[in-house]
Amino acid sequence: MADQNINPFSQEPTTKTTPERRQLSQSNHAVSRRLQKELMTLMMNAEKGVSAFPEGENLFKWIATIIGPDGTVYEGITFKLSLEFLNNYPYVPPIVKFTSPCFHPNVDLTGNICLDILKEKWSALYDVRTVLLSLQSLLAEPNNDSPLNQTAAELWPNQTEFKVHMEKFMADMRKQNS
Amino acid sequence: MVIASEAGPSKSGREKEGSPEEKDDRTFECNICLDTAKDAVVSMCGHLFCWPCLHQWLDTRPTRQVCPVCKAAISEDKVIPLYGRGSTKQEDPRNKVPPRPPGQRTEPENNGGFPGFGFGDGGFHMSFGIGAFPFGFVTSSFNFGDHHHQRPAHGAGRGMALLDEDPFVSKIFLWVAAIFIMWLFYA
Ligand SMILES: [Zn+2]
Ligand SMILES: [Zn+2]
Repeated sequence: MADQNINPFSQEPTTKTTPERRQLSQSNHAVSRRLQKELMTLMMNAEKGVSAFPEGENLFKWIATIIGPDGTVYEGITFKLSLEFLNNYPYVPPIVKFTSPCFHPNVDLTGNICLDILKEKWSALYDVRTVLLSLQSLLAEPNNDSPLNQTAAELWPNQTEFKVHMEKFMADMRKQNS
Repeated sequence: MVIASEAGPSKSGREKEGSPEEKDDRTFECNICLDTAKDAVVSMCGHLFCWPCLHQWLDTRPTRQVCPVCKAAISEDKVIPLYGRGSTKQEDPRNKVPPRPPGQRTEPENNGGFPGFGFGDGGFHMSFGIGAFPFGFVTSSFNFGDHHHQRPAHGAGRGMALLDEDPFVSKIFLWVAAIFIMWLFYA
């Protein structure tokens, strides 16, 4: 009896393939349109300290920069990031990573970021601009309750010590990369 | 890379930040696709979306049904469709998206109607004050026809359900009314 009830559900994915594929191409188009609009607004109203542009011809992969906010240990440092958009964007957040070394409580050593709006607090209303601005303020105000980089979180209260560590970290990363 | 843009040269000139015209345009942009809202719906919190966009948003997070803009609780049956002039022509056929929820019409309160005429109250307890206004009776019965035309296609409110039986009921009423009038004349 239970089997009979389950079977129709397990068969569903196969019967649905064609319309789903059609929907996928439709949604790809919609995503491109939205990304184009975002790019337009970004270019029209340049935001101070953040920039973003598609990587080559691919509209679904962007390269962005954030300049460390004034009055923080990151002041004057330019961080590079990568943004990847899935074909159900903006219903799901983009995948955002730091590509240049970033010593920060909420950024791990490979550049992964822990930020609520890029996860469960994501909203379709957010866009590249708001994501970058949020990241810029995350640099100034980390969330030390859920650190990805434990050392950075522990050092954060002592900003001078933090800065010493950070500079050593960045030098090490540069050495590693070269 | 080339940016395919609908904005012609005339439009790009005014895309400066804060220009009032641009703001006007944006007032009716969907908060999800950033285009002018198609099959527009508005949430109870007042935020505008295309119905397909909002539907997909709610679909992707069935456990957290919130407005993308203000995070207010939101649900499919509590959005209001917006029908602008000529809006039906812009509709493009969407096979996968369910139809936009219908608007809900509440009939204006019929002050001229007969006060004791309470169907919804679950009974034909028409107090016999009726005798004084036999004609109110008849007109009430005829009103049923009008209700039918004005009713939206799907979204009959709960109160409407009772009216579905009306061809039969209204006939009875006509008869009762007729007998009543006769009785008035002969008595
Ligand atoms: Zn939309
Ligand atoms: Zn809202």
